Amino acid sequence: MNDWIWSIKSLARRRLRTLLAVLGIAISAALLFDMVMLSGGIEKSFADLLTAKGYQIRLSPKGTLPFDTEATLPAANSIIRQLRQDPAIAAAGAVLGTSLYGRGPDSLVTLFGYGIQPEGQGLYWLQAGSDLAPSDTNGVLLSSAAAGLLGAEVGDTVRMVGRLDPQVITGSVDRKLAVRGLVRWAYDYRGQPSVGTVLPVMQALAYGNREDRASLILVKAKEDRHAPALAAALRTRFPDLEVYSVADLVAVFKQRLVYFRQLSYVLGTMSLIVSVLLISTLLTITVNERLGEIVTLRAIGVARSTIVRQVLIESAVLTVVGGVAGLILGLGTARYLDSILTSFPGLPAAFSFFVPRRESVSTAAVVLLSAGCLAGLYPAWVAARAPIAATLRSEAT
Amino acid sequence: MTAPWRSLALQPAILMIIGAYPAGAQVIQVAVERPLAAELGLSIGDTVRLGTRIDSMTSSAVVAAIYEPRPDPAEIAKRERHIRLHLPDLAALLGAPDRVDRFGVGLKPGVSPDSAAIVLNRGAFGYRVHVSAALAAESSQTFLVVSRFHRAIAVITIVASAVFLLCIMLLKVEERRLDAAVMRFIGVRRRTIFSALLLEAALVAVLGSLAGTALSYVAGSVTNAYYRRFFDTGLIFSAITHEIVLFSIALSLVLGLLAGMLAAWRLVRTPPLVLWGRG
Repeated sequence: MNDWIWSIKSLARRRLRTLLAVLGIAISAALLFDMVMLSGGIEKSFADLLTAKGYQIRLSPKGTLPFDTEATLPAANSIIRQLRQDPAIAAAGAVLGTSLYGRGPDSLVTLFGYGIQPEGQGLYWLQAGSDLAPSDTNGVLLSSAAAGLLGAEVGDTVRMVGRLDPQVITGSVDRKLAVRGLVRWAYDYRGQPSVGTVLPVMQALAYGNREDRASLILVKAKEDRHAPALAAALRTRFPDLEVYSVADLVAVFKQRLVYFRQLSYVLGTMSLIVSVLLISTLLTITVNERLGEIVTLRAIGVARSTIVRQVLIESAVLTVVGGVAGLILGLGTARYLDSILTSFPGLPAAFSFFVPRRESVSTAAVVLLSAGCLAGLYPAWVAARAPIAATLRSEAT
Repeated sequence: MTAPWRSLALQPAILMIIGAYPAGAQVIQVAVERPLAAELGLSIGDTVRLGTRIDSMTSSAVVAAIYEPRPDPAEIAKRERHIRLHLPDLAALLGAPDRVDRFGVGLKPGVSPDSAAIVLNRGAFGYRVHVSAALAAESSQTFLVVSRFHRAIAVITIVASAVFLLCIMLLKVEERRLDAAVMRFIGVRRRTIFSALLLEAALVAVLGSLAGTALSYVAGSVTNAYYRRFFDTGLIFSAITHEIVLFSIALSLVLGLLAGMLAAWRLVRTPPLVLWGRG
């Protein structure tokens, strides 16, 4: 206990330099925590987004990622029927994504359309009104942005127009639909005007001739732990389709955002080095200044190990105080940095880059504390090896 | 090339099988990008089969050219592979004759793209006319976001560096307590000591800036070499311009001088006996 008091008093004697050191460590630690949140946050946030509605597997056209291209898969209903007969599958639903037009108050507005199967949907949360029934071919669900553009509320009727034909200056398909509800789409970017109808209606709007095509099929395994095995089985069963488990999609996403992960490693390492340098420099100079005091203690019988312990405690105190301040600062800067990165065009609004996770933040804190203590080793060594007689003589003159 | 065939999916949804084409079949020409050709061991004259589904690879094609893809920052992370076909061949392959995703329109000299777009959009039905500059601005949004992120990180780094510099300068000047005390005892004026310490701080800042500049060039070269190899591209990832170097040196000089001033000011206003340790 005495060692701790002695070390804290020693730091308190030089308030300005201790304050600056703590501030420097706090900023470096904040950057370290931010980078730790960034490195693991991307995949955590994406995995959470994918499993938000409990669907662990996606089937998409061969060679494509879900909604990455306009490619579609044929015979969607036949595939769905086969999937729903599988005892390992709890739910399955096809989704068609397409662009379409809605008649706004004074013009046509461009919208994104989801054709869904309400009995197997993993794309939205109802916010107002009611959900679509599986056989509801006259209803539509709107995002709040789409409702704003169309000037529509729950209960209103809106007109949706499919492909426009420039040669005859008309929409090839035109449907009047009643707004059943307002929903939040899981993968929409901020302000995306999206609408949803049952699959056959969207297929008619997209293709006119009711082609049975879908962009994606969502599959929910009865048990989470069986999802990877089920994905492997589906891969064998449907060789013409691309089958992705959540882990597969996270791996692809990680590959696409590899730059941010590597940047986080580089900046995290640099901030750790800066913290170590700061602590080491500060304590070395402080120890050099106090050599007379240290050798006097040695001369009156204080053990070398006690001196080493006290210097190491000083370095630990600086690291802990700086680290705690850094964590608070880091959470603030992470929010700011996240607000910048989440403004990427086309990124789902629910996505985050900086996700504070207990395990990763704890690991970073332990690494920081260990590095801080290591930084105290050199000044401790300087303090321990100071020759008593020569130092006392030089101090006296 | 003969069996065993290898299949490959290309964006948006064209599948390719490498192998021999049946005698007498109509053969179309295809240009393959260099990384894809290298990946599959394709060379000019080889044949491939193309289709939109794995069970309908009906179109045979001969590799007529291998091209170097234009470095595109928007594409590198996707690691997509591309081939090029003549438009009628692709339309026939996709089963969508006389349909295109977009037209490119070249204007006669002197015609304003904005006014042309307004005129064309007035009569547009089923399409939308965009000016290339506006499209370029929109598609560079991603990089503007990355740039803003880099700037925010740079601000945090500068603040951390400023604190670090202040701390080091303070310690460095504190080391000179005895020298300052002796100078005061022999009659050297405070202003002279202050100037000397400031000059020393400026020298340290200049040397640090030069070392930092050299280090940044090394780091930039390593970054470029690594990412060019990683993404197999000729893009420049780290560009250290003269403006950046000048700004960084000026900033570190200002910060160094400020830190030196603060530390020197604390030292010169301390009585010499206290500096000597007898006060």
